[in-house]
Amino acid sequence: MNLISITNTKQNGAPVLGDVTGKSYWRSLNQLADTADFKQWVTREFSSTATDLLDGNSRRTVLKLMAASFGLAGLTACRPVAHILPNTKGVEDYIPGAATFYSTAMPMNGVVNGLLVETHDGRPTKIEGNPDHPMSLGAANSFAQASVLGLYDPDRSKVVLEAGKESTFEKFEAALKAANLADGSGLRFVTLANASPTFTWLKSQVLAKYPKAGFIEYEPISHDAMREGAEMAFGTGVAIHKQLDKAKIIVSLDYDFLGLDALSIMLTKLFSKGRKLAEESEEEGEHAAAEHKDEKTENKKVEHAAEHAAEKAAEMNRLYSVETNYSLTGGMADHRLRLKPSEIVTFARDLAAKLGAVPGLNVMQPATDKRGKFLDALAKDLKAHSGECIVMAGPKQPAIVHALAHSINASLGNIGKTAIAWASTKGEVSPLDAMRTLAGEINSGKVQALMILGGNPVYTAPADLNFADAIKKVPLSVHLGLDADETAMAAKWHIPEAHYLESWGDGRAVDGTATIQQPLIEAMYGGKSAIEMLALVAGTKDQRGYDLVRTYWSGQLPGKDTTAKDQAWREALHSGVIPGTKTAESKATLDGKSVGAQVAKIADGKGFEIAFYPSSQAYDGRFANNGWLQELPDPMTKLVWGNALLISPKYAKDQGLADGDMVTVSKGNLKLDVAVMTQPGHADGCGSIALGFGRTVCGRVGKGVGFNAYAIRTTNDFWSGDGFTITKTAGKHVHATTQEHGLMEGRPVVREAKIDDYKKTPKIIEEMNEVPLLKSIYEDLKYDKGNQWGMSIDLNSCTGCNACVVACQSENNIPIVGKEQVLKGREMHWLRMDRYYTGDENDPQVVTQALPCLQCENAPCENVCPVAATNHSPEGLNDMAYNRCVGTRYCANNCPVKVRHFNFLNWHKTTEEVQKMSFNPNVTVRMRGIMEKCTYCVQRIQETKIQIKAEARAAGKEIRAIKDGEIKTACQQTCPADAIVFGNINDPNSQVAKLKKHERNYALLAELNIKPRTTYLAKLRNPNPELG
Amino acid sequence: MADLAIKHNPLLETNPPLVQGPQDYNSVTEVVSSPTEIPLNKTPLRWYIAIGITSSILGMMGLVLTYLVATGIGVWGNNRPVGWAWDITNFVFWIGIGHAGTLISAILFLFRQKWRTSINRSAEAMTLFAVACAAIFPLFHTGRPWRAAYWLLPLPNTDLNMWQNFRSPLIWDVFAVSTYGTVSLLFWFVGLVPDLATLRDRAVDNVRKKIFAVASLGWRGTAKAWRHYEAAYLILAGISTPLVLSVHSIVSFDFATSVIPGWHTTIFPPYFVAGAVFSGFAMVMTLMLIARWVMKLENLITMKHLENMNKIILVTGSIVGYAYATEFFIAWYSGNAYERFTFINRAFGPYAWAYWTMVSCNVITPQFFWFKKLRTSIPVMFVLSIVVNIGMWFERFVIIVTSLHRDYLPSSWGYFRPTWVDICLFIGTFGLFLTLFLLFCRFLPVIAISEVKGVLAQQRHQAHEEAAH
Repeated sequence: MNLISITNTKQNGAPVLGDVTGKSYWRSLNQLADTADFKQWVTREFSSTATDLLDGNSRRTVLKLMAASFGLAGLTACRPVAHILPNTKGVEDYIPGAATFYSTAMPMNGVVNGLLVETHDGRPTKIEGNPDHPMSLGAANSFAQASVLGLYDPDRSKVVLEAGKESTFEKFEAALKAANLADGSGLRFVTLANASPTFTWLKSQVLAKYPKAGFIEYEPISHDAMREGAEMAFGTGVAIHKQLDKAKIIVSLDYDFLGLDALSIMLTKLFSKGRKLAEESEEEGEHAAAEHKDEKTENKKVEHAAEHAAEKAAEMNRLYSVETNYSLTGGMADHRLRLKPSEIVTFARDLAAKLGAVPGLNVMQPATDKRGKFLDALAKDLKAHSGECIVMAGPKQPAIVHALAHSINASLGNIGKTAIAWASTKGEVSPLDAMRTLAGEINSGKVQALMILGGNPVYTAPADLNFADAIKKVPLSVHLGLDADETAMAAKWHIPEAHYLESWGDGRAVDGTATIQQPLIEAMYGGKSAIEMLALVAGTKDQRGYDLVRTYWSGQLPGKDTTAKDQAWREALHSGVIPGTKTAESKATLDGKSVGAQVAKIADGKGFEIAFYPSSQAYDGRFANNGWLQELPDPMTKLVWGNALLISPKYAKDQGLADGDMVTVSKGNLKLDVAVMTQPGHADGCGSIALGFGRTVCGRVGKGVGFNAYAIRTTNDFWSGDGFTITKTAGKHVHATTQEHGLMEGRPVVREAKIDDYKKTPKIIEEMNEVPLLKSIYEDLKYDKGNQWGMSIDLNSCTGCNACVVACQSENNIPIVGKEQVLKGREMHWLRMDRYYTGDENDPQVVTQALPCLQCENAPCENVCPVAATNHSPEGLNDMAYNRCVGTRYCANNCPVKVRHFNFLNWHKTTEEVQKMSFNPNVTVRMRGIMEKCTYCVQRIQETKIQIKAEARAAGKEIRAIKDGEIKTACQQTCPADAIVFGNINDPNSQVAKLKKHERNYALLAELNIKPRTTYLAKLRNPNPELG
Repeated sequence: MADLAIKHNPLLETNPPLVQGPQDYNSVTEVVSSPTEIPLNKTPLRWYIAIGITSSILGMMGLVLTYLVATGIGVWGNNRPVGWAWDITNFVFWIGIGHAGTLISAILFLFRQKWRTSINRSAEAMTLFAVACAAIFPLFHTGRPWRAAYWLLPLPNTDLNMWQNFRSPLIWDVFAVSTYGTVSLLFWFVGLVPDLATLRDRAVDNVRKKIFAVASLGWRGTAKAWRHYEAAYLILAGISTPLVLSVHSIVSFDFATSVIPGWHTTIFPPYFVAGAVFSGFAMVMTLMLIARWVMKLENLITMKHLENMNKIILVTGSIVGYAYATEFFIAWYSGNAYERFTFINRAFGPYAWAYWTMVSCNVITPQFFWFKKLRTSIPVMFVLSIVVNIGMWFERFVIIVTSLHRDYLPSSWGYFRPTWVDICLFIGTFGLFLTLFLLFCRFLPVIAISEVKGVLAQQRHQAHEEAAH
């Protein structure tokens, strides 16, 4: 059988369904498939290649192809991309309906995170982390989780645009050829930070053809200061790898390494290792197994346990965080100091001075206030932990702060221990300078062709560059992007970009480990990838992404002959990592003089300061049209569908500002109208605002949501700036938050103890709540047979990063409801992330709590349902029979933790056909009028059981027991902190059963006798005794 | 007996006759029957205007319900955590209204309270109409009423082969309310039979005669028929009596059996029953005053009736007030932090306005009836009866919404705001209630003719005996 490929369907006379922009989709795939034309089209033999399938056509054509794939059914995840096979005789190893996993990688901010993507019949539906990948270690963050929705975004760009009008790729090719680029002195490329070896190789190919062409990697959430700071401190190109698992004292200088950093997953994994007290429970489990009734032994046991707890707890790391706005890192910190952006720089200077890290530097601010005490105690603590501590500066801080952090690390002997140096290429020009130069070149007419490969610089470029006007002066401006966004509208040409899940590519992790980015689906709208665009410009022999990546790696992969190389290639695709590509460790010596010279330039901030930070929802704006992310509550503010200028409660009070008040923030001729919101714990006298909102050319989800902070972000005030004026204006804005009340009201909801107190009395956690003698006149149901599912959530390692929330949404087809409905309190997240403040309003501590259904054994929801739609399974699950539910909402009322969610309206009314492809076929999509809730991912439990049964039947053996850890819930799987453990509590050797014996274990609302299966491990803080 | 009556002759002043003016059997029949016998084309214009208004409101409710079912519960303001709000508030409110009718017809009958005779018919009718209004909500508050309509009933089914969950108070509700509705209807109808026969006998029009002939089940008024009738009536009164207590007790179980602070309390059954009687009497009072005035029934519904009703309002209102105090005391005394918070939150939280509306309407208002001058003043009792019903609606709102909006975990706290659909639906139920009541006033005897005649006979006998002495 020859390979079949399908050509442009319009040319082939296939049915073309309606107009491109309308909403009239066919009702069903059957209806489509029944037309005579379609049948003919499916059965005809085709001639050309599959890649030019969709040129100039609508995405409907793609969907027709999807329909065809049901007939042809050989599209097992479309790989390799060019091969589509009919399975009239069945494709080997392909089981219709069974999920298959492929490794790939998601490029973001100059690195890639290794992923495993679940596909159902050729549709990627769920993202999971690749455990073999050094940056993912099995976890994925909320952006990665939500990216699958971005793939099926109905507003994605589908056609080539020429000056905003539909065109074809051929016409673009012709235009590119017609442009006289000569030596490339008028050719400029603007890309996002990029970690693709193939890209680098193709870049050299382009430079070979056009030696004077320029490449700029502009990333709005830039990490340039990190690189520049390292160069400043060490004089050479060096990357510092943070070994957080080895650090006892961790200091973050405005580094949200647990939240929104490109490396957050990896760093959270490493950090949480230092917060785990899990080994203790194993010991205890053994103790419990050898239980004696003898009182003396009992006492000894308690004593021993206390001792042991103390011993292990003492090993817990201590986190100090110095920051402006409340971040997740600040929330996890044992000590947090809130400072204005400019004060963080001076704090870093004083800390370095105190520790004598930079010669000749004196502490400039005396130790009287909280800052001073904090500084003294921190310096002492660091000194005491030389070689096992680490000071880290965040990408939002200027290079000097990074240099100071490196100096401190070097002086404390941390380099080579907690901070490992890797050789890195020395940066040429800072991207910001390059952007400045580019703007100048464009304005002086030097640039003939501007190729923007990814990103949205018209929206994200610093406001002082006025990029939107500049780009119009370029004769040939080209934008490659997923969306027809601001830049697409400003550029002459717009080419639809292929999503990372539908294109070939590669990339390196932060440690250099390379991964091949495999597509999981045919490019739905015929989009191009950045490497394909480079290949087009370079005029290389190969033009298709697959060939380009393959060609590059055939030169790199080990193996003497083609067979061996093929084998290595297949292994690389399979495992998602290419062995032997890791960067080697190198030495780094501090250049103290250079740092000293730069320190002198530090100036104090004046007036009102503004700090910018990446949004936890839209990031830099690229996810603005992603509904899952827009409705994902910000971890701290709990704000959804928008951003706000965050100010401290004190500042708000002083200025007479209240939540939702509109203000104008201005500096020079730039101004921004924005609504304020008070953020407890924010530094006084300054404001923070998330980037990525206020998109003007965007899809239906993100358009006009929030305020565009880029309007006042300039090359000088890139991450923060001073001298802003803030004036209150008329008008009020309504912020939608998912949590209206942030205090625990003295209730033992999130239990927290200081480690010293816990050392003395491990019972302290249990004693935080008085539980009366709970006796029932009925005999309790015994759940002592078979699998009894339970969950343990460790609040000591949970950072509140939200990855689990999106994972749950993706796994369980949870709809979004929109801002209006969130305001009415109807958001649907089965797993919600609660955030509480403790202590002083102006300087509180934060605790977070992931709250899924607790799966109570005595579930209050069950006995109140009049139609018995919610019942207990023999395995202890609180099941919901959607079909039986009539929607009285009584169960939700009677749920003490309010984790039942009602479909108040038909949330899928506007769900389009293409979005339906993102649904998990193993989970029902709920209609309006019924209740839904966390199921412990019952579909995963069933899938494993069925698989075990099938294996047993095939082997003719007995059905074996499910192994501990064999089933992972979606939230557990993606948790970067490994805070969620799920398993069989009936098995005393399971991890979850052991954790539940832990002294930190507690059940929420135990006094109600609900007997929740999901229990929590209390949070511990490890404060510095000097700071209390 | 006779001696006592003479000796305590002044009692007649404090205990005035239940029928006033020069009434005989014929005049009673005439007064009650004649309004129903006006030919259709001579119906007073004001009746047409009244029913025009009420049926328009009813029609609006129909449209609102259609919109609700077609769009979803989301058109209301209900949310998470407030899963029930105006829907169940209205349900409990209307069920409560109905209680006066059953109490008057059943309990007062068993206690031989003769003064009930003039008001029992219309009070029972109100019970039925109130149950009809209430019945809207258990069905339409569900997310899928097209399923709830029969899945809530224990019908044999082959598609699912399953029963309802008999542990659920909502299922008890279904049984309690349907039993209540059925028994009330039967009781009302049985009471109507002799009067329907009277109307049949008086009918001039042939069609009218036929209709009432069928409706009166061939009543002849023989002694034997009366004997059976009295027995049947007594039995039905006996069956209805526990329902007065059980229906609202079971409705209160919806809340009392839950785990939510503010709901989970043992005081609810008596407290709800007292509240129901309280609001029911207030509603009867409001409508009776209008009917009495419009239909000129001052001689049959006398000040004595009204005063007695006001006394019941005073008693039940005081029980309700006492229950409020007890709830607070127990919340403090129990030492349960959640319970304490709920009650403090009720009085001083975001819904304090609703709480204090409730307290001032339900606790303070009835206290005016301690004064005879006030409890015999028609304008005063008219206004106060309306105030009481406002208060009782708020009571249910306070119980339902303030308990739900802030329960155990502060993270899930929220606030409920009604939408226009909530409001229109509530107003619409009044459209249904008043339309039915207007039809009742127009076509059926609003006062139990035969029973009043019984009272009249007794009164005459008494007077005769007095004269003889």
